[in-house]
Amino acid sequence: MTQKYTGGVFHADLSDGRAGVEIELLHSHLCASTADGDAFVIPYDECQLELGGYNGKMLFCRNADRSVTLFSEDKQFPKALALAAGGRLDDQLAKQLTKAKGESRRSAILSFGLVAATLLVLVSLYFGIRAGANRVTQSLPVSLDRELGKAAYQAMPKEGSEITDPLVTKPIQAIVDRLADHAKVEGMDFQLHVIDSPTVNAYCLPGGTMVVYTGLISAAESPGQLAAVISHEMAHATLRHGLSRISQTLGLTAAVSLLIGDTAGIMAAAEEFFTAASINSYSRQQETEADLEGVRMLHAAAIDPSGMPSLFELLKEEHGELPEALVWVSTHPDHASRIEETQSMIDSLPAKTYNPIELDWEALKSRVAGDPANGNDDSSGDADESSQNPESSQNPMSSTDLTEDTSELEQENGS
Amino acid sequence: MEAELRDKPSFTNLRLQLSPGDSVIAEADAMAYMSSTIRMNTKWNGGVIQSLLKRFLGGESMFVNQFSTDTGGELVITQPYPGDMTCLELKGNSMYLQPGAFVACEPGVKLGIGWAGLRMLIGGEGLFRLKVSGHGRVWFGAYGGIFEREISDEYIVDTGHLVAYEPSIGVKVGMAGGIFSSFFSGEGLVTRVKGPGRIYLQSRSFDGLAAWTNAHL
Repeated sequence: MTQKYTGGVFHADLSDGRAGVEIELLHSHLCASTADGDAFVIPYDECQLELGGYNGKMLFCRNADRSVTLFSEDKQFPKALALAAGGRLDDQLAKQLTKAKGESRRSAILSFGLVAATLLVLVSLYFGIRAGANRVTQSLPVSLDRELGKAAYQAMPKEGSEITDPLVTKPIQAIVDRLADHAKVEGMDFQLHVIDSPTVNAYCLPGGTMVVYTGLISAAESPGQLAAVISHEMAHATLRHGLSRISQTLGLTAAVSLLIGDTAGIMAAAEEFFTAASINSYSRQQETEADLEGVRMLHAAAIDPSGMPSLFELLKEEHGELPEALVWVSTHPDHASRIEETQSMIDSLPAKTYNPIELDWEALKSRVAGDPANGNDDSSGDADESSQNPESSQNPMSSTDLTEDTSELEQENGS
Repeated sequence: MEAELRDKPSFTNLRLQLSPGDSVIAEADAMAYMSSTIRMNTKWNGGVIQSLLKRFLGGESMFVNQFSTDTGGELVITQPYPGDMTCLELKGNSMYLQPGAFVACEPGVKLGIGWAGLRMLIGGEGLFRLKVSGHGRVWFGAYGGIFEREISDEYIVDTGHLVAYEPSIGVKVGMAGGIFSSFFSGEGLVTRVKGPGRIYLQSRSFDGLAAWTNAHL
């Protein structure tokens, strides 16, 4: 009883030109028989061997006129065939095996190369786009930042009413103005908005729209600390971090549309971006850059920059106590390293006589705290009214306008 | 069992006239209509694990439907996309089908899942393919028209057009031309198939359809 190998046959006489067979290795020939009883014979002397098939491991045997092709993918088949043929087929088989080995090595190298090339392209594309987007952002006119910041400010939900009381806004505007003279980029329009909200936060939108919450003024221990926060936020604007964030989020499409001057799309996207409560979601690298640029601005404006590290000391102490209120802290690097970095920058700066910040700190704080006993006259009430009036009256008005419009439209349609 | 492929080639469907005692296995959801004398039996497409593999890797259904009858009846089977269908009669030989091509077969046909290898993934054909072997008729479909080629030497097929091939066919994925023409001719990668054996090709490709649709969205 000889071993049988499962395989197939190609022959023109078969109804479909092919059939599955069982191959037997007999004394002088291969014999293949189909399930229907057809039999095909190839003597070993005539046998022409070739390796191929899907896996490259299928052995084909053809007769002299190549009219019969037998094949099997059985792993044992080539060895058994060589043995049964008694050395007559060894040369052919060896030649085929070397060829197959070379081919499989070539294809392995090729596929490895292909995978490596794909990875390389992907990685370089990723970094290329990031770098390209950044480069494009920095070359854009500052007027775009201003437009963007204004649109974003309009669209943003305010956490409280705006304070127009000059006793509050004037001293803070004075700090902003002192720093603005030393901004890294020209053409910024630093407009201050003070918002009545217990949130300890401040931010500066692209183009210079600066927002300070009263919670921050209450939390700050000195005018220097307040100036430090303001300088840090202004640095985000002058370093144009907002645009970089947008371009990195939106990727190449945004960069291209900016390049060809189509700003309508990116404005819409930016509005969305800034409203989605991600004003302070700068990267750690951007935060560190803003810290250092803030120190530089403070120093240039002759304001003592030690407010910066002392602010971080304060935050470090209070962070555990008021985690919710301290929004400003949450996305920033850890305080210890920020203290260290800003302090070492301050140490490296040339010595300078610092001019104190001219403001009545206690008066500002009590004004912000809304202490009526400290209110000098009725002007605070007027200021409050005037600050609330625009918002409280604007919103209902605009909504009624809308409903009127639609009802008119409906009427027109109906008639 | 009499079989007839109707409405060729665009919206081909398979009409089977079952004699008493006949049965046929079809891809889930492939039945369009049938006589009330035909019983439908749903079973796992192989074992449970095999079925799961076929479902998630081979693009086939987890379940297949077996239709049988004691008194005879008519059964019409279709495929979900427009295109031709063809019949293949197995006599102990086997054939690989690309994911999703299988439509129906006679009970003597074995369905198995096979690893097609990374080259087929690169070639856009899917990592796994269905292997049909045994004895009996198999019906499978394509998107667009189907042509059959008996290959003795090498043949070049654009990726996404190969529907079925015999195990004796060698398949290599390569570039259509040089690097430049491969990228800019729109041909990209092609499949080089080597005989002996038979291949079935479809005249349209899903990738082509997807790209065309995408361009018009």
